[in-house]
Amino acid sequence: MAHNELILTDVTKRFGGLTAVDALSFKVSAGQIYGIIGPNGAGKTTVFNCITGIYKSEQGSVKWRGEEIRGLTPYQIVDRGIVRTFQTIRLFSQMSVAENVMSGRHIKSKQKLWHGIVHSPWSKRDELANWHKVEEQLDFFNLSEFAAIPTGSLPYGIQRRVEMARAMAVDPTLLILDEPAAGLNDKETMELLQTIFKIRDKGVTVLLIEHDMDMVMEVTDYLTVINFGKKIAEGTPEAIQKDPAVIEAYLGSEDDDDE
Amino acid sequence: MKTIQRFAYPIFFAVMAILPHVLDSRWQAVAITFLIFAVVALSQDIILGKSGMFNMGQALFFGLGAYTTAILNNEYGWSIIATIPLAILIPAVCGVLLAGPIVHLRGDYLLVTTIGFNIVFVQVVQNNLGGITGGPNGIFGLDSLSFYGIDLTSQVSVYYFAFAVLLLTLGIMRNLAGSKAGRAMHYLREDQLAAESIGINTRIYKIFAFALGAGIAGLAGTVFAVQYSAVSPEAFDFIQSVLFFSIVIVGGSSVPGVLIGVFVMFVLPEIFREFATWRFFIFGFAMIAAMILRPRGIIPATFGKIPKFLIKENNHGA
Ligand SMILES: Nc1ncnc2c1ncn2[C@@H]1O[C@H](COP(=O)(O)OP(=O)(O)O)[C@@H](O)[C@H]1O
Ligand SMILES: [Mg+2]
Repeated sequence: MAHNELILTDVTKRFGGLTAVDALSFKVSAGQIYGIIGPNGAGKTTVFNCITGIYKSEQGSVKWRGEEIRGLTPYQIVDRGIVRTFQTIRLFSQMSVAENVMSGRHIKSKQKLWHGIVHSPWSKRDELANWHKVEEQLDFFNLSEFAAIPTGSLPYGIQRRVEMARAMAVDPTLLILDEPAAGLNDKETMELLQTIFKIRDKGVTVLLIEHDMDMVMEVTDYLTVINFGKKIAEGTPEAIQKDPAVIEAYLGSEDDDDE
Repeated sequence: MKTIQRFAYPIFFAVMAILPHVLDSRWQAVAITFLIFAVVALSQDIILGKSGMFNMGQALFFGLGAYTTAILNNEYGWSIIATIPLAILIPAVCGVLLAGPIVHLRGDYLLVTTIGFNIVFVQVVQNNLGGITGGPNGIFGLDSLSFYGIDLTSQVSVYYFAFAVLLLTLGIMRNLAGSKAGRAMHYLREDQLAAESIGINTRIYKIFAFALGAGIAGLAGTVFAVQYSAVSPEAFDFIQSVLFFSIVIVGGSSVPGVLIGVFVMFVLPEIFREFATWRFFIFGFAMIAAMILRPRGIIPATFGKIPKFLIKENNHGA
């Protein structure tokens, strides 16, 4: 069964002498909320970049629904139902919230290039149908009131929501979130948790990186812990919390700070 | 701003529609020049303003269209109207061929490459390659406009031809703004990586922008050839490309901004004749001042429209 499974096998990515991701393997199954954690610089974002086609790993394989997607371009990977957000928010900052979310409809819209020159009744219907999809996402993420506002002028917490709304507008099968709680206050983080659960309830598999341990333990079904690009543990949140290697490498370092 | 625009456009179109009847022949010629260069500047806006690609060779596509019309008319005896499809198509195809290998380049490299294309083009026509471009003197004595036997020789006819081309261009730009392709251009201009990561094959839309901008510039070239009954290399020199580039940047990549830019650059010098020899000097300073005072242009572009039903009651913006 290769159904909606993401399988990484021995993925290795080097930057010059540095091995940012070192023979990493893990498997995300359909319907999971899967977490990747690890200290700063552990290689988490790099793994995401290897999955989403921004980087091509030197070795290993990235299989999605049984298909090798390593080496595909980012837009080809989106076309296969995998969409991501960025740790450093990347919105189209001069454009309105609604237009940002509309970008997620790009691959769903069947308009041809020439519809950019001449509209047809059909292309107008296509356009309208996609704007209605945008409306749905704006409602879902509580962004309706900001629809016409350029995203660059909005607070951080709202920008994060816009970025998720944009990704969800693609109707993805797998949603990849790179530190979605970074920069959010406690209240916003709580709302984010609820949103992530709701997204999962829609049947979307979620793969996320998180720094905030409390949040990770609460939201994820399964975790992989990496350090220096290597996997040091995997398991359920309960098991991970007890894992000595994790406490040593990751939690331990926090204790050091406290002392 | 919105209400100003609601009135400004109808007034502008109405004035432009009756203009040739109140102008004498010299000013009609100036008005035609304004229309032609407005179309070229808007075509440049599709590539530079909307899609953010530093194209410094727009005069090349303008010239290709003009030369296509001139050669087909002069050498092969086609009527001017019959040359139009090829005067659009040849520049558009060249746009695709030239842009294909270079659109992935970073802004500054793209800029230098397009300058190179423009220089090569002017050299080619100047040296009468293939014996059909007429060398440094160009091609003159073109037929005047006629349509199904109706003679459209008068300058007023040429004016309306140019005006129709401007309206067509504005119509296309409006359609573009409300389409998947047009939005894709905005997205890739704003953040290419984000655009790719949301599913946009940016390369296709970059090349499309070049093709569309080149095709429109080519059509403007036909009008140019008709106005002067001639074409010559210096009209499509790289310095012309610099002007179109600057007009889009200084204007702010909005239609009113670009039109103001064209007016200042090509019409004001006619109004103040003594100003004419100084126009590059003064326009140069105007460019500097505009960029310091309004870095996003005199009238900055607002992006594509969103439908009304998305703008809710308790809206903070708009
Ligand atoms: N584009 C790049 N070029 C060179 N080194 C990079 C690049 N991206 C990441 N790195 C390095 O790879 C390592 C892993 O980075 P990253 O994946 O961003 O870590 P994390 O997301 O876990 O904090 C770091 O040492 C970082 O400096
Ligand atoms: Mg990171």
